[in-house]
Amino acid sequence: MSVKPIPAASEITRLEGHRFPGGFYTVAHWENFLLTECTGAALLPEGIVHPVALFHLPIVGAGTSIAEMFALGQAESDLSIMIESYDWETFLPLREETRYCINGSITSAQRCANAQGKLYDRLQFCFEVHTPEQVLAARTTIAWHYTRNTL
Amino acid sequence: MKFAVGDRIPEWVMPSVSPQRMCTMAAILRDPNPLHWDRAAVDSLPFGLGKRTINQGPLGLSYMINMLHAWAGPHCLRRIIMRFPQVVLDGECVIARGKINALREDQGVALADCNIWLEHAQRGILLEGTATVVLPM
Repeated sequence: MSVKPIPAASEITRLEGHRFPGGFYTVAHWENFLLTECTGAALLPEGIVHPVALFHLPIVGAGTSIAEMFALGQAESDLSIMIESYDWETFLPLREETRYCINGSITSAQRCANAQGKLYDRLQFCFEVHTPEQVLAARTTIAWHYTRNTL
Repeated sequence: MKFAVGDRIPEWVMPSVSPQRMCTMAAILRDPNPLHWDRAAVDSLPFGLGKRTINQGPLGLSYMINMLHAWAGPHCLRRIIMRFPQVVLDGECVIARGKINALREDQGVALADCNIWLEHAQRGILLEGTATVVLPM
């Protein structure tokens, strides 16, 4: 695997405030069925979407992708991303076949060093999911570490 | 139901983390990371994990959501914050556990703030975090 050069810190910090295009996402019944099966649970009642959808629904709905989020932080490779934390807030249960409106942005972008002095870049993404009636249904915050020259 | 600080949440067991489910999840998430579907890619890492696949973070988190749903109902989740100190590997038996850390009320709704974690018998705590849950009346 070729090692990519470490980007300048300024190339990372300038990502703060980056806004994704925004858009819409509808969880179809088949998708909820498969997602829920992957978790090992039974389908939830009343068309409720399993909250595990709070990972990809905001990302895809905001008009981005995991691959683009890797690329924005100039990930060395797909293997170099480490999860710091996920913070999922739900204000209303998500439901199948509902067209949610999503916006998202990079709320923090920092060059960091771990206890051993190894550099990594920390990006924090925040997404908001609104119902068709413009009510905030969920907010998710993702913090990833883009490790450098570790593989 | 009566609730008290320190109460344990009934555990939820995933008897064997499935590599097939990781593949399905990768497709749904549009997740290009080969760690979730290519055992050779995991084996090539300098972490000594062997020919295993690594479970998606949201899937490990979902086991704890399943525990909370089984305990307090499908509408219960208000907030979940999760950290990932260790990976979850295919074939592992993992157990979601938790306990009530605080009880409070918000606009007439009874809430429990809980510590939650995902445990492996030999490797200890793999995921850990907190959840705020609406308690059933």
